[in-house]
Amino acid sequence: MGINKVEPSDAELVRRVRAGDIGAYGALVSRYRGRLGRYAVHMIGDHEDAEEALQDSFVRAYRSLARCDDPARFGAWLYGILVNRCRTTGARAARRRRMFVNDAQALNGAAHADQVDRLDSTDAVDRALARLAPEYREAFLLKHVEDLEYDEISELTGAGVSALKMRVKRAREQLQKYLREAEHV
Amino acid sequence: MILAALLLVTQVAAQDPRLERLDPDTRSAVAAIADSAHGVGLPVEPIIQRALEGATKGASGARIVAAVRRLAVDLGTARSALGTSASAPELEAAVAALRAGATPQVLAHLRDVRRPPLTMALSVLADLVASGVPADSAAAAVLALAPKARDADLVEFRRAVERDIALGAPPGAATSVRLNTGAFTTDAGSPGSPGTPPARPRRP
Amino acid sequence: MFEPEDETVERVIQHLRRPVAIDAGLDARVMREIAQASSPRRRAWPRWSAGAAAAAAAAAVLGALVVARPWARNATSRADTLQFVLVAPQAASVALVGDFNDWDPARSPMQTAHGIWAKALRLAPGRYRYAFLVNGVEWRADPGAPAAKDDEFGTPSSVVTVGGRGS
Repeated sequence: MGINKVEPSDAELVRRVRAGDIGAYGALVSRYRGRLGRYAVHMIGDHEDAEEALQDSFVRAYRSLARCDDPARFGAWLYGILVNRCRTTGARAARRRRMFVNDAQALNGAAHADQVDRLDSTDAVDRALARLAPEYREAFLLKHVEDLEYDEISELTGAGVSALKMRVKRAREQLQKYLREAEHV
Repeated sequence: MILAALLLVTQVAAQDPRLERLDPDTRSAVAAIADSAHGVGLPVEPIIQRALEGATKGASGARIVAAVRRLAVDLGTARSALGTSASAPELEAAVAALRAGATPQVLAHLRDVRRPPLTMALSVLADLVASGVPADSAAAAVLALAPKARDADLVEFRRAVERDIALGAPPGAATSVRLNTGAFTTDAGSPGSPGTPPARPRRP
Repeated sequence: MFEPEDETVERVIQHLRRPVAIDAGLDARVMREIAQASSPRRRAWPRWSAGAAAAAAAAAVLGALVVARPWARNATSRADTLQFVLVAPQAASVALVGDFNDWDPARSPMQTAHGIWAKALRLAPGRYRYAFLVNGVEWRADPGAPAAKDDEFGTPSSVVTVGGRGS
């Protein structure tokens, strides 16, 4: 059989899955779990919820693989599924947490107290990220951490490019502000 | 065509990232065993779990491979006795029963007298033997109860026998006494209400 | 408005780009769910909704522990919730390890009150070998459960069985 060191492309793997090779999907999962997992963890702020969202997204993507119009861009298509799934988790978690927002956090003026106490990490960066409005965090992560282009992000999120640029700008400003506040505590 | 078929005997185990906990030689040996088990329709998950158990317990690669190989063989024996429609939990429980001393004939007989799933009946058989009940007494007891007893009844029977043994009764005697009181066959008046799930989480 | 090179934000970006550990079992769970896609309707085990703060934490952990197993082909199978308990007043940590969590000590740390360590797990039908790992080094079987007699690795283990609905 010979040893072929060249990894098959996404398009090739998708083709194989569609031809019935379920195992090929495992290769896609391996390929994307790290990046998508990173996005989910930062977006949702909770490791277990993020892994659940990630697992759901992979399964959902498999089930609707016929609807992936451009298999060469499987990754971007998969991101879209994950981004939407993370929004659902965020909304559910926000409703749950609203019951537990304590007054102290409200007094501190945390922009999104329901997100702040989700994180048990004391890392200032994670806290600052959590304080961003979800749509700012989403845009910031997709642009600066996941390195997607604005037109790709626009496709995933449904927002216009200029709106996205504004969200990223606001995110940057707010992160700076929150981190400076944290330094002065 | 054959090549394609070979490729399609999907390398299920080889792609399982959990096996990365094993050293490379052990990993490939375990993956090969798991994949060939998968190839003949045996469940892979029990094999993976046995390897992971060995890894966590710091067992040598050779020991892990031996355990995994033995399990794959025993799963095959279990399947021969129970038939190809047996589920993975049934097969695992059947392996335990076989290792406890039940014969394949006992397993086949159980399959004939009890509606699936057989998991609990097989487990109870194995667990009785683990408590010290002779294998043939345990088998006889489970076969006697199997046609009518619910899973919960079988568990209660096992617990009752274990209590008696703990209090000093000879295991074989404890089994037959409990069996003969007839408290574990279902009828309208039997203890343990039918069908209602436990309100609290139960202990093993 | 003058905007200097934003070192603070760059620091954030570099931090966030670092790889994040994702549970190694995730891939297998995905593949199992997918493999089940064509088999009889799989039940989605309900996530328990959070009532009080303590229940919220427990629910999050239990939710993470629900693993879809492609085993039971009969539609009558149901998950059961089991309470695992070990009395170990001197222990600093106790982990529940077994076939239900890939024998990974990090997955099911037990909670303690007054020296009694406990953990509830929701398990699909099956027969599970397990043990307690005390202080990360000492293996103990569950004194309240049947012993796993086929112990090939030299340490004690126990067995728990979850049946389907009985006949």
